Amino acid sequence: MTDIAEHMVYAYAVLRPTPEAARAVAALRGVADEQVGLVETGDLAAAVGPVPAAEFGEEPLKARLEELTRLESLARGHHGVVSALAPLGAVLPLRLATVYRDEDRVRQTLQERRDEFLPLLERLTGRVEWGVKIYTDAKDTGGGEEASGASEDGSEGAGLSPGRAYLAARRRRRRGAEDAWQVAVRTAARIADEAGEIAVERVAHRPQRGELAGVGGGEPGENIANDAYLVPADRAADFRARVLAAAEGQEGVRVEVTGPWAPYSFALPPAPAARRESA
Amino acid sequence: MSATPDRPAKRLSTDPDSVERDLAQLVLTVVELLRQLMERQALHRVDKGDLTEEQEERIGMTLMLLQQRMEEMCDRHGLRMEDLNLDLGPLGTLLSPAGQA
Amino acid sequence: MSTALDEEDARALAGREVALIDILDRLLQGGVVLAGDLVLSIAGVDLVRIDLRAVIAPVDAAHPAPPLL
Repeated sequence: MTDIAEHMVYAYAVLRPTPEAARAVAALRGVADEQVGLVETGDLAAAVGPVPAAEFGEEPLKARLEELTRLESLARGHHGVVSALAPLGAVLPLRLATVYRDEDRVRQTLQERRDEFLPLLERLTGRVEWGVKIYTDAKDTGGGEEASGASEDGSEGAGLSPGRAYLAARRRRRRGAEDAWQVAVRTAARIADEAGEIAVERVAHRPQRGELAGVGGGEPGENIANDAYLVPADRAADFRARVLAAAEGQEGVRVEVTGPWAPYSFALPPAPAARRESA
Repeated sequence: MSATPDRPAKRLSTDPDSVERDLAQLVLTVVELLRQLMERQALHRVDKGDLTEEQEERIGMTLMLLQQRMEEMCDRHGLRMEDLNLDLGPLGTLLSPAGQA
Repeated sequence: MSTALDEEDARALAGREVALIDILDRLLQGGVVLAGDLVLSIAGVDLVRIDLRAVIAPVDAAHPAPPLL
């Protein structure tokens, strides 16, 4: 019998306590390579796993979140469990690093928030998430730098003193970049409209930048839209085809569709305390 | 000093020349961000028309001199303007991929 | 109505074909945030160390700035 104080409970998702769910978790290992199981109470269950307190207490966990390679192993382990449960059809994913002291606390939370979880599970039943990322295609949507404002094409700068000529040239440069940007943004809106024909809901995540985003390794452009759509599972193929078709032949943009995902982006909004206050 | 997660490529090395270069890159990136933000504000006010010609001239000259100074300082530390950026880890960079604020 | 994903999708979903940044977008911004007797909630962890809002302060006639240089 393991010493309870040495372990904590890592929670992955809320779901229904069905025989299929029990079978599904029995085949899974989690973020600490632990056996995943179900904590059940009435008509709700949580997929959880025992994890070493030494690694998953607050301090070590925070440290782990700040190191990319260790964050990656945690994120992929977590995602592996949730994605294996997604085919069950109704899964409410929990945020990364949701850790409890013991299973009783998990059970208690399920009971306390039953009236929120049940309708949400109902709403997510039979639906999956698709990601649509839109990138600018153009190479010159950025401003860049130039050697000397005053010696630029002087049509607007003619007759202006050097400082004003510099500003005029900079304005021209930025405006040109903005125009290309506007075209891309308008196309992105058209793609979103098309996606909206099938999706029941949409969430906008912040655009992706930096090394992890993978833009720039041969592919020009910038990520201007990073959206998640909640789509009926039986219309998933249709959705993907429509979005890709909407982007085809469109100047200035490139589209990437990811999925299907468990509905991470369509779980409850954060800050339940704030919600209680505003209720 | 490093604003990035613990990855070898971004860790400040113990080589004195490299330390100075890394610090310069950090400082110049922040200065460049501010310069671009000021430029954007200046252009906005020019468009709004609430600057006199004299104010426009002064601001324009200042920004132009600042840009030249930035290029000189980059050069002095063996950096190109394209090198100026701050990696905030998985969530992206301070300036856009095209180097804009 | 079939709610199950086909095998290929399920494998791709869990496998390395999935980009880390796409996973992080969903694990850090999505999912239920539970409070209460929690040891740690990711909602309390901010991975962005520089707050740009502190740097940007628009200036116009109503909010004059000190003279440039």
